[in-house]
Amino acid sequence: MPTSRSTRIVLLIYGLLTIFLLYLPLVSVGFASVSRARYLSFPITRYSTKWYAEALESGTVRDLLLTSVTVAAIVTVLSVIIAFFGALAFARYNWRYRSTFQKLILLPIFFPQTVLGLALLMWFNALGVIPSWKTAVVAHLVWIAPIATLIVAIRAYSFDPALEEAARDMGANTPTILREITLPLLMPGLVSAGLFAFLLSWGNFPLSLFTTGADSTLPEWLYAKMVSGYSPLVPTLGIMSVVASFVLILTAFAVMWLIKAMRDSKAAQT
Amino acid sequence: MASDALLRLQGVVKQFGHFTALHGVDLDIHEGEFFTIVGPSGSGKSTMIRLLVGMDELTHGAIWLRDKRIDETPANERPTCMVFQSLALFPHMSVGQNIEFPLKLRNVPAADRKSRALELLDLLRLPQSYYSKRISQCSGGEKQRVALARALAFDPEILFFDEPLSALDYRLRKTLEKELKDLHHRTGKTFVYITHSLEEAMVMSDRIAIMKDGRFEQIAVADEIYSRPVSRFVAEFMGEVNLFEVSTEDGSTLSGAGLTGNAPSGLAAGSKGLLMVRPEYIRFVADGGTADYTVKGRLLEEYALGSRIQYEIETTEGQTLTVEKLREDRTTSALGGEVTLGFDEANTHLIEGD
Amino acid sequence: MQRLNQKLGFLSALPMLAVFAIALFAPLIVVALFSIMPPKVFSIANTPDFSAYSVFFSQGYYKSLLWSLGMALAATVILLVICWPLAYGMAKVFKSFTLFLTLAVVMSLFVSENIRLFGWVLTLMKGGLIEGHFRAWTSVGFDSPLYGVGIIVFGLVYVYLPFMLFPLAQGIAMVPDDARQAAADLGATRWQIFRQIDVPLAAPGIMVGCLLSFVLAAGAVAEAKILGGQAVITIADDIETAFTFGQDWPLGSALSMTLIGIIGALALFGISRVDLDQVMGRKR
Repeated sequence: MPTSRSTRIVLLIYGLLTIFLLYLPLVSVGFASVSRARYLSFPITRYSTKWYAEALESGTVRDLLLTSVTVAAIVTVLSVIIAFFGALAFARYNWRYRSTFQKLILLPIFFPQTVLGLALLMWFNALGVIPSWKTAVVAHLVWIAPIATLIVAIRAYSFDPALEEAARDMGANTPTILREITLPLLMPGLVSAGLFAFLLSWGNFPLSLFTTGADSTLPEWLYAKMVSGYSPLVPTLGIMSVVASFVLILTAFAVMWLIKAMRDSKAAQT
Repeated sequence: MASDALLRLQGVVKQFGHFTALHGVDLDIHEGEFFTIVGPSGSGKSTMIRLLVGMDELTHGAIWLRDKRIDETPANERPTCMVFQSLALFPHMSVGQNIEFPLKLRNVPAADRKSRALELLDLLRLPQSYYSKRISQCSGGEKQRVALARALAFDPEILFFDEPLSALDYRLRKTLEKELKDLHHRTGKTFVYITHSLEEAMVMSDRIAIMKDGRFEQIAVADEIYSRPVSRFVAEFMGEVNLFEVSTEDGSTLSGAGLTGNAPSGLAAGSKGLLMVRPEYIRFVADGGTADYTVKGRLLEEYALGSRIQYEIETTEGQTLTVEKLREDRTTSALGGEVTLGFDEANTHLIEGD
Repeated sequence: MQRLNQKLGFLSALPMLAVFAIALFAPLIVVALFSIMPPKVFSIANTPDFSAYSVFFSQGYYKSLLWSLGMALAATVILLVICWPLAYGMAKVFKSFTLFLTLAVVMSLFVSENIRLFGWVLTLMKGGLIEGHFRAWTSVGFDSPLYGVGIIVFGLVYVYLPFMLFPLAQGIAMVPDDARQAAADLGATRWQIFRQIDVPLAAPGIMVGCLLSFVLAAGAVAEAKILGGQAVITIADDIETAFTFGQDWPLGSALSMTLIGIIGALALFGISRVDLDQVMGRKR
């Protein structure tokens, strides 16, 4: 059905408005981060970058960043590996419990994260494990690996199972098929899954809140300061965290674009 | 088990749960032949090829390749290879890498692989510059040739085809059918081809097997299947046909379907059968003209089919007949008019007891 | 091949299943066990007495549960209404803007939700981005909308918008254009097309979107804490308090089990009605 021009324009404006509202709070945080005053009040009269300087010099901040990055990096690697195989079980192989497995995968996504965090805390306690950033990795993993699996599964759905059958028919065994056919074909899905995994872990606080023990991640620290006792570093660190995420996304896009451009130019030469 | 067959199926049964897809099938395929299995969808032909290639396990029976029983051998250990319906070309590899894939699996040195791939490009009449092209840059027909080259690189004992031409347009399909037949001659390999298109089967095959409901209805050379089908199903599957349900009490007087004439010689007294005549063998009989069999009817419709005209005639018994005549032999009778049709016994075939 | 598929399917599911076993099911069992323990114990080596569940009613915890469910329901309904036109636009109207919108929404997801909610506090508070500038220009101030039930629902709508938008857009994309065209051709009005074609065919997407939004909103804490100033206590907040300040693990566990039970039943009901292969576009 042809959509009238006016409908199209109204929807477009609606979409832009949504994006505006989605990011409006970040604008406020951005302004707050460069306000000189210790107690924030708009309109901002004096701007300063001193909170950024303070944040960069602070040892606490460095520890927070280090913990966050470590957790996110490990979660990313493990999630991608689990998601690669998980997606095959989810989308590719016709095995008896496939539909059960599919439903199981969705479970942690529906699960209230606060409750999951607390449940893990009790479980670690029962096991006698002292919570630290390592237990936070486990907590993140149970929530993030299923999401990564879904992302890879979308990619796995879109490729023809006959490709693997053809390779097998020509004499390839399962490891060879996985290495030569499945892995390269799923690669774009694995890259996006890795990106998602890193960013979701980087931004997560409900799970970290109860599972990091004495260690603390950046979002966790921010949350603590927001609910009790304001610090002028909150907007600053918030913005730094956001900027880091966006830089990572843009870098990933740039790299993927570059690889594609290189491949195209190589194909064009021949 | 010694046999002169290259591939032999013995009592092959395939069940999916309670559904039986193949009911105890026997088949011999000889070295170097172009063998086609034809059947409508749901006939079991796709199940058949998946068993032959080793992508499914059979429920009962045995498959022999020469003297070796192979039905327990997984697909990747069988010396056979299939060209898939979707072609299954690897999109992340170049044309050359696709063709070399089976050789790479056997650890053939890179230089040998490349020279073999280039040879195969020649054999398939693709320019050598295609070696480093991406699959997505190839046209439908070129992809077809690459898939063939890849299968030939494998150097299989038998090359299987799972309806690889079905997605192509009519003209390209016709060209490739001829190329495939030519390739069969040049390579001397055994080809086993699955299709739902009888036309495709007739153009290419040495022998054809007609499949229905998980059984072979008839296995024979193309001409025989066309002119001497064993059942109504085969007769009707092989294009336009007229079938008269006839019987005889005494072995000489014919009754049924409004036909006038003597009972066909093969029809025993007290039995019945189907008398088959293809549309091109029926003629319009003018007053006083003769034929072994005649039947009266009314001219319903005429369709122009290029060089020929097809007529639809309703007999006095209510049966609809199809008649095809060359343009110069078209009838002068008007639509709706009474006509007399005739044909000779030499052009008929009797399907007994069907 | 079936046998091989069985084997490979099971083997590839194994890493995920292992993670679930040690980090989802085992903790759940621990929670279930703790929930039947006597008050304020820190070990499951006690005699069960189910007292924690009775506290749920006697001390009014059911009120926070009802608040959570009520606000989640409100947020879901609002989300459905405001996301539909946008999802429709993404699936059927926009071209490159769909990609832009998708990227913009996904990127917002990567910003920790507490930072975004905190941003709303800065935007809406007295002396915040809106009121502060408004007062500076007109020298008339107004009260902040913060710290109430309405703003908590707003926060839920804001945070869970992507979880409604994307499934909905996916669902609407599954409605074939020719079915809508045929209906229009047969004389259906816009409303009839919406009722008879769009809604039934997009049902899996609607289902997944509503389910996700509701379930996630029902277990939310941060909106009520940061935006609502605890004007209303949510059930997840109660759970947190029971574990932390209350130091009553059995109570926290019993509350958790109740929330998990409700969410789990809803999730299972919803998921079992959706064919994931179809929604995600499996080939065969």
